Amino acid sequence: MAEENVPKTSRRIFLANLVMGGGLVIGVGAFLRDIWQFLYPDIGRRQFTRFMVAKVKDIPIGKAQKLEIGRVPIHVVHLADGFKVYSGICTHLGCLVKWEENKNRFYCPCHKGIFAPDGKVLSGPPPRPLDEYKVTIENELVFIEVEKRKGRWS
Amino acid sequence: MRQWLLERFPIDYQKFIEINEKIFIKEPIPYHMKSWFFAMGATPLILFAFQVVTGILLTFYYVPSPDLAYESIRHITEDVRFGFLIRGIHRWGSNLMIVALFLHIVRVVFTRAYRAPRELNWIIGVLLLLTTLTFAFTGYSLLYNQLSYWATTVGTNLFKSLPLIGSTILNFLRGGEHVNPNTLTRFFMVHVGLLPPIMTLLVFLHILVLRLHGVAEIEGREGEGYYSFYPSHFYKIIIATLFLITTMSALSIIFPPGLGEPATPEETPLHIKPEWYFYPVYRWLKLVPLNVGIYTIIAGLIVLTFWPFIDELLRGKLPRIKLNYVFGILFVTITIVLTVWEAMVF
Amino acid sequence: MNAQNDTLTAQKILIGIFSFLLVVTLIIVAGVEMKKTRVEKPEIEITGVTKQCISCHEKKGMAVGTTNQWKESVHAEQGIGCIECHEAQEGDWDAFKCPESDILVARHPTPKDCAECHEQQVQEFADSKHAHQFWLIKNTDRSVFEFPIVTRHGCEQCHQIGNLWPDNSVGECDACHAKHTFSKAIARQPETCGECHIGPDHPHIEIYLESKHGNIFKAKGKKWDMNYSTKNNQKIPIDAPVCTTCHMDGNETQPMTHNVSARLAWDSQAAWSYRTVWKQEKLGNWQTKRARLEAICKSCHAPDFVETYMLTADLNNLQYNELRRMFVYWTKKLTENGTIKRLEADGKFYSDPVLNGWDEEPEILMYHAWHHEGRRFRHGAEMMAADYTQWHGIWELQMDMNEMLTWAAEHGDKEAKEWVESTHPSKWVPFSLYDIPGNAWGINSMSNKLPFVYNNYPDYWDRISANVKTAFEKGLLSEKQWQLWMKRYENKEYYLGTKFNGDSVYAYYKALDDVDTKAFQEQVVGLKLPGEPFWQAKKKVYGNGAYSNGKK
Repeated sequence: MAEENVPKTSRRIFLANLVMGGGLVIGVGAFLRDIWQFLYPDIGRRQFTRFMVAKVKDIPIGKAQKLEIGRVPIHVVHLADGFKVYSGICTHLGCLVKWEENKNRFYCPCHKGIFAPDGKVLSGPPPRPLDEYKVTIENELVFIEVEKRKGRWS
Repeated sequence: MRQWLLERFPIDYQKFIEINEKIFIKEPIPYHMKSWFFAMGATPLILFAFQVVTGILLTFYYVPSPDLAYESIRHITEDVRFGFLIRGIHRWGSNLMIVALFLHIVRVVFTRAYRAPRELNWIIGVLLLLTTLTFAFTGYSLLYNQLSYWATTVGTNLFKSLPLIGSTILNFLRGGEHVNPNTLTRFFMVHVGLLPPIMTLLVFLHILVLRLHGVAEIEGREGEGYYSFYPSHFYKIIIATLFLITTMSALSIIFPPGLGEPATPEETPLHIKPEWYFYPVYRWLKLVPLNVGIYTIIAGLIVLTFWPFIDELLRGKLPRIKLNYVFGILFVTITIVLTVWEAMVF
Repeated sequence: MNAQNDTLTAQKILIGIFSFLLVVTLIIVAGVEMKKTRVEKPEIEITGVTKQCISCHEKKGMAVGTTNQWKESVHAEQGIGCIECHEAQEGDWDAFKCPESDILVARHPTPKDCAECHEQQVQEFADSKHAHQFWLIKNTDRSVFEFPIVTRHGCEQCHQIGNLWPDNSVGECDACHAKHTFSKAIARQPETCGECHIGPDHPHIEIYLESKHGNIFKAKGKKWDMNYSTKNNQKIPIDAPVCTTCHMDGNETQPMTHNVSARLAWDSQAAWSYRTVWKQEKLGNWQTKRARLEAICKSCHAPDFVETYMLTADLNNLQYNELRRMFVYWTKKLTENGTIKRLEADGKFYSDPVLNGWDEEPEILMYHAWHHEGRRFRHGAEMMAADYTQWHGIWELQMDMNEMLTWAAEHGDKEAKEWVESTHPSKWVPFSLYDIPGNAWGINSMSNKLPFVYNNYPDYWDRISANVKTAFEKGLLSEKQWQLWMKRYENKEYYLGTKFNGDSVYAYYKALDDVDTKAFQEQVVGLKLPGEPFWQAKKKVYGNGAYSNGKK
């Protein structure tokens, strides 16, 4: 009798331990996952919105216009084949570039970086062309795609 | 591995095992605690543990400034992932903790578990209750919505009526004569900095004294025998823990934590009420003149604190009356009547 | 020992169960979390000139409301600031120099400015009757009656929607798109339309709120997010239509339009109901416009219901014309024979016997029968407001006719006198009728057994079908409508319900009615109070008994 009972009982105990242990692991795990999600900032979903930066008629071909979005300076350039919008931050070490209309170029005074109107590096240390925004033109208005910032917490 | 660790952290492992065995595993639990009715004294402790965890989590986002307090709580509740869950558990935890304490007190009174030589542990228990209520009061004020702002204003104002030291306490609490940004930072500090260690210390003392005496047996059923803490009672606590976290999560979905209107110090809302656990006090203060109210509440607190001694004293004179029943019934009735009364009126 | 093991096992399983419950709860929590709508109020970037405008306005506390409204707008989100709309050139009609800077500002942006980006919407609007200047073009000079100062805050406020600007653009976008949020949600509120489409002459907001559509809106509308777009043939996201749903918004098959006239098949605001010809070279004929409206209706309703409903509404419009014919006949006749006279100064008339007259009873009745009750009757029938078709509509129209003919009889008109003195029930139908067997709601097996005209004129349906046929042949009804009408006509016993026998149920309720009649007879009809009235005629003959004032 006793010999027969032992495996039966131990199997039952094993199963009960499994139910308890498995349950606890999954339950506590699920709760810890929620806590992790709570703590980790929600940066997964980026949304973009369009932002008007200029009117087509205001910038003749070959001219550029500077404006600031928040604290970021940007340059809107009207090239022969359309509009380009660049971030005014030099790709070298983050100084602010200037548009020099008479020389038809962007110039960074910090280390003499020079960019062409199409953003490419002409000379100096910058490692890559100026950062560009995606441009769309609708109703004679120039829009760029900017990230939608959601309230003060982002 | 163990050897490596023990070399660097030289404790007597054998002794450690023994102590652990003696203090926790083999803690003698009297047989009456097999019944769930007697076994729930740990509930407030479990809830407190949850409060600590969720409280720490909330401080990751909460900003204790009049400009941002309400907005940061809105942010937690509406934007942050699972923010409503964490805040919901914290909020429901505070409510349930007070319910659990109330039930625990009632159980202790009716079983006369405070009887000699355990009077001191009763007093520690009363301090725990007061600490919990302070927790609740300061925590509620951190919300910085209309109701909580005015509850803070009115609540702190009450101290003004105390003789001699009234205005000093008031000014100290508020960090100024009026409710101001420093009131919020003070309350925040008290809530997250001062009260948690006090609470932890009191809980430690409460359990220490309990363990030194052992769990009180039921009067008239002495000598029932003991069983060890592990595993049976330990499992009970785990079940209670799981039950509580599940319940609080479910409550957070069904009754999500609200936000209310942002506080506007220029305008008192038409109907102000404290949280429900202050209803008895609030109703009582509305019933009688303020001074009378405050003195009677202080008197009541003194009676509550020293009840074990009073019980013993009166027992000698009135041996035929079960005083703890009278006290318990009075305590329950007064609390419930005043709470319900306050809940019914606007 | 074994017992204790069993309890322990039970406890372990209990722990497992509670863990499971916790997981289930947390899954629900995660569901709630996923469905949680986050208030995503985008941070707006205020740049350039706009920054200058707003900081100065805020500092000076001047019109800060407008800038705050703007901050909520989609314009603000997309970087469209003050000067984009308020831009002015030297010499513009509304240009002024901002006193704090050198910026030239346009005081009042017009549809021309809006059209810079919203060209299609402005064009559609200009093609609608909202832009039509009919109130200036068509009417005789109303200012003789409603003098100019009243006009400023009366006529002109609502008709601002079709304002003709000095820059020759027409319309006022912010009549509906309240500035400076220009919110779609506000524009969609029925109450926005109801700012003007309200009151005795065209109670459209009241008609809407009385209809089933409006009722559902009242019950559930607060929960609807009205800020949706239907620009790209999206599905209508709300549970019942608001005004714009049918008249402007798109659905899967219909494009959205700012031309409120593009879906109207009638000019039923006019003195006569006629099939609209408004811009038909561009918008198509009335049948095309009706098809647009029905395409919206059919988003929710069965085609058969929609078509029957609209046909019935159309027949009501046609019926209105027959009533209108009476009023025109009488005001014309009375004017021609000199019983009533037109307003006149220096050889110019200031009233019109068929449009408006201000001082003579028949003219006023004719005006009301068109401009007030006539519209309520028609628009109630078109937009599901029974009370407006009935009590504010046909009842009032018939009373107007009665008053007009009584007035004419008193002023010596023999034809009118004959009508007044007639005691035949048919005197209330001195015109031709339209009808349709049954209604769109269902079959009533009793109601069509009762009407006098059905029972006393065996050729009733012959007369009706001849009239409907003529309307069809004249192009006032479509081929499809005529066929729908004929289908009902050919099965009229079915649609009228006369082939069904409801007699026993009817008798049951009739018996109940007899009980009611008996009850009021017993309770109140014969009741004589002992306290005497305080004024009595010297001699009064009433019924069979005669009694005099005072004591006998």
